[in-house]
Amino acid sequence: MQFNEDLLRKVIEEVMAEVAAPAAAAAPAKTIVTEGTVSKIKWTPLGNAKRGTDPREVVVALPPAFGDQFQKTIIDVPHAEVLRQVFAGIEEEGCNYRVIKVYHTADVAFIAHAGAKLSGSGIGIGILSRGTSVIHQRELAPLANLELFPQCPLLDAEVFRQIGKNAAKYAKGENPVPVPTRNDPMARPRYQGFAALLHNKEASYLDRGKAPVEFTVEIA
Amino acid sequence: MAVIAGIDIGNSTTEVALGRVEDGKVTFLSSALAFTSGIKGTTQNVAGVRSALSQALELAGWNKNDFSKVDLIRINRAAPVIGEVAMETVTETIITESTMIGHNPSTPGGVGLGRGETVLFADLDKCTKDKPYAVIVPGSVDYEKAAKGISDAMQHGINITCAICQNDDGVLITNRLPHPIPIVDEVRAVDRVPLGMQACVEVAPPGRVIELLANPYDIATLFGLSPDETRQVVPVARALVGNRSAVVIRTPLGEVKERRIPAGQLTIMGKNGKREMDIDEGAEKIMALVGASHPIIDIFGEPGTNVGGMMERVRRTMSNLTEIPLGDVHIRDLLAVNTQVPQKVVGGLADEFSLENGVALAVMVQTVDLPMQKLAKAIEEDLHVKVEIGGIEAEMAIKGALTTPGTRQPLAILDMGAGSTDASFLRENGEESLIHLAGAGNMVNTIIASELGIDSMDLAEAIKRTPLCKVESVYHIRLEDGTVRFADKPLSPEVFGRVCLLHSEDELEPLPLDNVSMDKIRTVRRKAKEEVFVVNAIRALERVAPAGNVRLIDFVVLVGGSSMDFEIPTMVTQALAGYSVVAGRANIRGSEGPRNAVATGLVLSYVDEINAVNTGVVHDLGDLSEASK
Repeated sequence: MQFNEDLLRKVIEEVMAEVAAPAAAAAPAKTIVTEGTVSKIKWTPLGNAKRGTDPREVVVALPPAFGDQFQKTIIDVPHAEVLRQVFAGIEEEGCNYRVIKVYHTADVAFIAHAGAKLSGSGIGIGILSRGTSVIHQRELAPLANLELFPQCPLLDAEVFRQIGKNAAKYAKGENPVPVPTRNDPMARPRYQGFAALLHNKEASYLDRGKAPVEFTVEIA
Repeated sequence: MAVIAGIDIGNSTTEVALGRVEDGKVTFLSSALAFTSGIKGTTQNVAGVRSALSQALELAGWNKNDFSKVDLIRINRAAPVIGEVAMETVTETIITESTMIGHNPSTPGGVGLGRGETVLFADLDKCTKDKPYAVIVPGSVDYEKAAKGISDAMQHGINITCAICQNDDGVLITNRLPHPIPIVDEVRAVDRVPLGMQACVEVAPPGRVIELLANPYDIATLFGLSPDETRQVVPVARALVGNRSAVVIRTPLGEVKERRIPAGQLTIMGKNGKREMDIDEGAEKIMALVGASHPIIDIFGEPGTNVGGMMERVRRTMSNLTEIPLGDVHIRDLLAVNTQVPQKVVGGLADEFSLENGVALAVMVQTVDLPMQKLAKAIEEDLHVKVEIGGIEAEMAIKGALTTPGTRQPLAILDMGAGSTDASFLRENGEESLIHLAGAGNMVNTIIASELGIDSMDLAEAIKRTPLCKVESVYHIRLEDGTVRFADKPLSPEVFGRVCLLHSEDELEPLPLDNVSMDKIRTVRRKAKEEVFVVNAIRALERVAPAGNVRLIDFVVLVGGSSMDFEIPTMVTQALAGYSVVAGRANIRGSEGPRNAVATGLVLSYVDEINAVNTGVVHDLGDLSEASK
């Protein structure tokens, strides 16, 4: 198993503490640091995200806690690595990427759709902190996406490379073969509770009134 | 007054024409169609007959189970014809000593040509400054590490001219180097690249193809080859034509060979002797031999080969069906078509595929009549209606086809089905000639499947039947002819960006094919149809036409399942226009299209028989059958 009981207990305690005392907003950042994970991603905000005009670009849309309060996915793929692989997939296909954070929702479909609407090519990728991902197109309805990767415990670095690659291929108007979706019937019983807790935590960092912000991302 | 049901039991469908006969005139009440149950000509067909007749009764305004309304059922006497198809690949490409890599990855890195000695990424520190190198990057090395290692080596003055890597990292690495080098990526068996050998890597700009490594003299220039050695690299150059990227490695004995696979002998017994040939000589020679051997008595394939197996299979099916001993079942025709089959290259490093030559074969057996009497009895017992065996299928088909407005005797019909292409010709004096030829819809499926590398025959069938389109955005699709159609509602995300089959009512079905363009599929589809149906149409008409001259036929009417196709009839029409023949899809009774010809013929022939008995002459049968006088 990728995570141990201690970690699980820690996360549960953390979330319980937050639920009990929502006012103590400063606490979580501290606890993350005590976990010993040093952020390898440097975020520089560029102001409110605008709609792009570059037809070669794919927008990667993330929730606020991605690479900040959260540092890795449900199976411990570091967020720095997730982004690096997605960017590599996009770059290998000759496309550009832009990163935004979406503050009003923790629903991956709507995050991805928000990214797609701001993307010059109309293609966006949404990735939750626990790993769940969607490739989206701006003219589609939010819940009718191009490719959905619902089982976050099955998404490893290689899959994230494929996601970036396929999104870029859609942007180029090519005809990619969808990334093979894996299925593990044990993923649900094993991770569902954990995923629910992670979702609660993810949602606690939302700011419903805030517009999406564009960032430059440096991966150290 | 009598109600007559003409029922045509075909290989795939059972068709019914229901007519009321009064005073020697016939009024058609309805027609219906159901799938044939079981193999044509056996008692298993009863269920299909029942369901087709029920539909017809319902359409005529009666209760669907009220079979007593029908006074007489007429079924046709079918000539049992079975077709069978097989594919033979007759060439294969073999690479020895990993001389080349030509798999055409979608995103190679850099542009241009690099030449150097192959060296592993891990051994970069052992390189000397006096010669150029080609770096081999295995998949275990991350692209950033690879780029950094190569950059560092370059900065130390080592001349790295090109690279071959296992992951899809070509662009990523090139983008991170101080100056770009050509990189071929996605080479799966990168560990088998020979080390310490001279290698050339060429990458063309997007939209272009490589020029140097596809030219034997340029390869000779790059490697300093002698004239004899240059002769040896010709297959390498040829194999790389049309690629955007390629690697050629100079090894002491390495080469690329095209080998002919012995596919077996074909023995054709004609009236005037026995002829033999190898299948790998190609379709033209096989067809010339088939033409020369006419009339064919039997055809054999070499035992132990695919072809031998196919011939035995079709003989056995027919023998089981008709209870005729195996030795008395004879193959009467064969159609061969050249195809290209994508095959994995033997000894390739990157799962290269090469288009190899293949031959698609269709054969046909024909025997005496099927045991229709038994079937007639079974239907009689099931429906409690008198059943009568009408005329021969071809005769009935002509009678039915003549109800197409604008036709008259002498008339030829071309029945294009799934297993065989049949032609019959009715002269002015009522004399008929009839021929069954191998090769029809199923053969087209086989060719489409092999050329596009599809496993599923259902998919091949769907591609054959349906026009294509490419979904260019959520709101518009581009059709085969280049026109654009807009959608009012956003299209489903499954079809976004894909080549789809455009079914009726604008239903789109995405094709599960990787990187195959709409044009390619269209070309394969049309070529397969032309090589089977156009060739067979002319072959068939030559056999039935007076003096073997197609020009002496005035009217050709197309019937059968394959004439429902959206382009086959126009292809045949166009080809026959060259012989100044009026050819086109039938329109039975002016309303049924190419369907229901035999069933209609069965009802009409009943009227003819009645009238002949009553008065000794054939009466006017009313508007619909006027032409058949």
